[in-house]
Amino acid sequence: MHVRWLIPLGAAVASPVALATQYLSVPQAQQEAFPGAGEFRAVPVPDAAALAAVGVPAGWAPQIFEADASGKKLGWLIVDQVIGKSEAITYALALDTAGAVISLEVLEYRESHGGEVRMPAWRKQFVGKTAADAAALNREIKIISGATLSCRHLTEGVQRLLRLYALALRAPA
Amino acid sequence: MSVALQRARPWLGTLVEVCAEASAAQCARRAVEAAFAEIEAVHRCMSFHDADSDLSRLHAAAVGTAVMVDARTVEVLRCALDLAARSHGRFDLGVAGKLVARGFLPRPRSPFTPDAAANWRDIELLGDDRVRLRRPLWIDLGGIAKGYAVDRAIAALQEHGATQMRVNAGGDLRVAGPREEVVHLRDVEGRGIAGAVALRDAALASSAGAATRQRCDDRWSGTHLDARSGETVGLSSSASVVAPTCMIADALTKVAFAATPAFARRVFAHYGAQAVINDMRDCGGVKGRAA
Repeated sequence: MHVRWLIPLGAAVASPVALATQYLSVPQAQQEAFPGAGEFRAVPVPDAAALAAVGVPAGWAPQIFEADASGKKLGWLIVDQVIGKSEAITYALALDTAGAVISLEVLEYRESHGGEVRMPAWRKQFVGKTAADAAALNREIKIISGATLSCRHLTEGVQRLLRLYALALRAPA
Repeated sequence: MSVALQRARPWLGTLVEVCAEASAAQCARRAVEAAFAEIEAVHRCMSFHDADSDLSRLHAAAVGTAVMVDARTVEVLRCALDLAARSHGRFDLGVAGKLVARGFLPRPRSPFTPDAAANWRDIELLGDDRVRLRRPLWIDLGGIAKGYAVDRAIAALQEHGATQMRVNAGGDLRVAGPREEVVHLRDVEGRGIAGAVALRDAALASSAGAATRQRCDDRWSGTHLDARSGETVGLSSSASVVAPTCMIADALTKVAFAATPAFARRVFAHYGAQAVINDMRDCGGVKGRAA
């Protein structure tokens, strides 16, 4: 275990505070969910009345793709976005022809804090060895720890996509 | 040439990110899938909410009955009991009854209501992966299982040949491999950045009492309790703990809130951990009595 604490001890450092990661592009997500598919056909989003029945606000526009292999339908990949308190998550839900979940992948994560490096009372209590090197604070933020994010919005998003499937994609019985 | 792969999926009530570098894309892909499989397994064994989890089966059984659980659940229980003993009960996995009473957890399906005097000492590990409750008690592994899932995922990545790796479960994370990684720390209100830490082969967990607080009976209440008194602690604080494993880092964030600095230092030294504790009261933070 090797640790170097990088704690600001001086005045506030102005720094853009944002975390953004792209995990997968839409074509990559398509290929990973349906490796055998030859074609991904865009399916029109249902009309406003149908969307209202799914329980989503006007203007909601998920991208729906039907995966096909030699004219045979394999399932759907639906790309959607959820917005939380300070984060936006673009994700892809893959469903087979029976509506069962094949995979759920986050495509892109963006978090903005709308703040800067703040200078609170970190000086108070240090348990163990400490060091200060504020310069590294201004590096690009790739990893962040702190107040745990909830994936509640993502869970709600998946639920609305499953309602969308039941309403608009499922083959009539 | 090494290939890096990075994926994120929702598990453990948060977003779990797995990053792996390996010699070939196929190797990295297998490693990442194996890591997510471990996280899913830990989630299914130790969830308080899932009706089929080991915890739910234990809560559904009559007091005094031996219940078979997964070996991984035993490993977490053993570590949690050791932490409870070393922290003199400041960390207590038996506080779920109090969290249910305050609305932080749903009432589990159970033939009994917890005895207010029951605590971690009433949980018996019988060997052969069997667990028994000596008194009516509900167990919550929410303060330790996420860290354990991260450790299992790191082990899976290593077994599958990853050379540099990182698993981040909503801020509880571990890095392994020869390279140092810089992790920024959210401030106590979760809006800005309050510091950073550079890690190599180490785990980090952060916890903020203020982020979880709720109004309860006209008082502020949080999910972090000093189990001995049942009082909420850390409502205006955040703690970041670095330890050799994420399970220990995760669990020690709770000890950081409940203990005096001198006591915390002794417990942390035993586990080879370091911490920085940020108290927001210094900057005019949360006001309100602890419940």
